[in-house]
Amino acid sequence: MLKAEHKVKGGKLIKVHLRKKDSKIDFIKITGDFFMHPEEFIEDLEKILIGCPLNEAEITKTIEAFIKKHEISLLGVTPKDFAKCIIKAGGVDG
Amino acid sequence: MAEEWRLLDTDLGDAFYNMALDEAIAIARSKNLVPNTLRFFRWEPSAVSIGYFQSMEEEVDIKACNKLGIDYVRRRTGGGAVYHDRDGELTYSLIINEDHPLISRDFQKTYENLCSGIIRGLRILGVPAEFKPINDIIVGGKKISGNAQTRSMNVVHQHGTILRDVNPTLMFTVLKVPSEKIRDKMIKSVKERVTSIKSYLKKEVSFEELKDALIKGFEEAFNIRLIPGEVTNFEEQTAIKLKMEKYSTREWNFKR
Repeated sequence: MLKAEHKVKGGKLIKVHLRKKDSKIDFIKITGDFFMHPEEFIEDLEKILIGCPLNEAEITKTIEAFIKKHEISLLGVTPKDFAKCIIKAGGVDG
Repeated sequence: MAEEWRLLDTDLGDAFYNMALDEAIAIARSKNLVPNTLRFFRWEPSAVSIGYFQSMEEEVDIKACNKLGIDYVRRRTGGGAVYHDRDGELTYSLIINEDHPLISRDFQKTYENLCSGIIRGLRILGVPAEFKPINDIIVGGKKISGNAQTRSMNVVHQHGTILRDVNPTLMFTVLKVPSEKIRDKMIKSVKERVTSIKSYLKKEVSFEELKDALIKGFEEAFNIRLIPGEVTNFEEQTAIKLKMEKYSTREWNFKR
């Protein structure tokens, strides 16, 4: 299992546990002390990230679209911070 | 005429009941069975709570907790892991209808609004507290209160801690540290970042004095009157059910 942490400046801490397959996300768990409302969407977010290529821009876009679609509020982290942490765990080149 | 809110003081309770009762009050509020509520409570035995998104294994030294008889529970709110000392900490909850003027669509703004009651209360005690985004209250640059919020069913639920006294060594016995080598360093760093009413005022303030000051602080800051009330039968039954089926279960506490 690949792991990474990302502390957002002036914000919260994100931790990612990741498994990859062919440069794509095969399994992901996002934990940390951030705020996301409604909270229950974290599991759906992890689900839609499966199969997503390990590319920071693409992951950011995927998370942004998900947040918008479900009217989710984030506090202490941004979609880009999640993406950064995921790339940190998974590496860019797969 | 100031609005009337309910004041609950449920004092000592175990971690699972404490978290279950918070949710039960939110459910009761959403059904309009109870008014907006301020609740005070404490933790017996002392306990660790973790944020909704945290991993229990990653944050909590389960073995140390079991040895010391300290409970551990997942909160319904996000945020970080907190050690709730039976004798050092007072916890409060606010359960407020979402359409109240204190509630903004903006979570950050709502934290600031709701923390203003705590800040006013601490100032009454002579502690010049200030709000520090995102969700902290500080004094002299050090944290004295941490707060966390959630909303569902058109109800805002914010709970938080106020430190009367703090014990960083015990805190890091029950919370995981990245490695044993840096445990001492982390204890030292907590001493530099966290304070308590006792450390700041160099005198003991009792739970009763603290609650009285906070009641006054909330009444003034929110322009409300707090009327002492009781947990309703509906809330109690719901809390017992939530404790049994959610907060005391391994499924909930270890779900992430």
